[in-house]
Amino acid sequence: MTARTMTIEPVSAFSSLDVLVAMDEGLFMAEGLDLRMASRESRDIRSTTEGTVSNPVTNQGRLQERGEATMFQG
Amino acid sequence: MIVCAALVVPPDSSVYVPQELAHRMVGLDYGNGTAYAGLQMLEGAVSRDAVTTCAAVTHPGERYAAMVRGEFDATVLQEPWITVAEKAGCRLVSTTFFHGTWVAGPDLDPQLYAAFLRGVSRAVRRITADKRRYVSYFKEGWSAGYPEVQALTPDDFNLGRIQLREPTPIPEDEARWAWDWMASWGLIHGTFDVTTQINRKVEREAHDLAR
Repeated sequence: MTARTMTIEPVSAFSSLDVLVAMDEGLFMAEGLDLRMASRESRDIRSTTEGTVSNPVTNQGRLQERGEATMFQG
Repeated sequence: MIVCAALVVPPDSSVYVPQELAHRMVGLDYGNGTAYAGLQMLEGAVSRDAVTTCAAVTHPGERYAAMVRGEFDATVLQEPWITVAEKAGCRLVSTTFFHGTWVAGPDLDPQLYAAFLRGVSRAVRRITADKRRYVSYFKEGWSAGYPEVQALTPDDFNLGRIQLREPTPIPEDEARWAWDWMASWGLIHGTFDVTTQINRKVEREAHDLAR
C-alpha cells in the first residue's frame, strides 16, 4: 500500500504528545498516512508581545493559510 | 490531547491562592491556548475588572524567566516548564486542562483525516498505558541552553498532568461556549454558527471511517 502524504503545522509535546509518538512509532504509516510536519520560517514568526488581549498575534495557521499545511492546532 | 496549563507564581510571592492575583500583573502569551486558559483561571477567582495582564512571549522558558526576574507577578506555563517551575520552588496557584483542537480548511480529505484519527487513537492508548515511558518527549526540542529542562527526570513529572483522550467530534455546546467566551473578550465578533465553524459532513465521514 502506498502511503498518502499529509502535512501539518509544527507541534510540541505539551499539546501533541500523541501525534509525536504516532509519528515516531510508525502508527500513522501503519494506517497508510505519511504525516509530515512543516517548518516555520523566520518570516512566519511574530512575537506575541506585539499583540493585545483582544487583538493577539498568533503564528498558528499561517502555513495552512499559504497551503503549506493541511491542519494546525488551534 | 488534553493540555495542562498552570498559573504559577515565584517562590517568594505573597500569592497563595488565585484570588490574591486580583489587580496583580499576569504575563500571558496572548493568542495561544495557554493565555486563554490563564484568563479563564483568573476569571474563576476574581472579577473581570480585576484581571490584570500584560503581553508576554510565547516561549515558556523565557516567560518563566521573566516572571522570576519580577517583570510580572505570575504567568501561565505548560509542560515541561510547569515541572521546572515546581522544582525551583514556584507555586501552582491554579491548574486547568483544555482540548487541543485541530483546525483544517474545507478541502480536508476525510480518508486522510480518518487515518490521522486512527494513528492518534493508537498513540493515546499506548501513552496512557505507560505515561512514564513517554515523558522524555517533554524534554525534546529544548537545547543545552535550558539545563533546567535537561536535568528533569521521569520522577520529576506529575503524571496526572498528562492526560490524553481519543479524538471525538467537537461537541456543539462546547464550541458555542468557547465562541461566546472569546466574543466576550472582543477576540471574535458575531454570533456562533455551527455550520460555518465545523464541517460536520467531513467530520462525521472521517470519524465513521476511523472506527
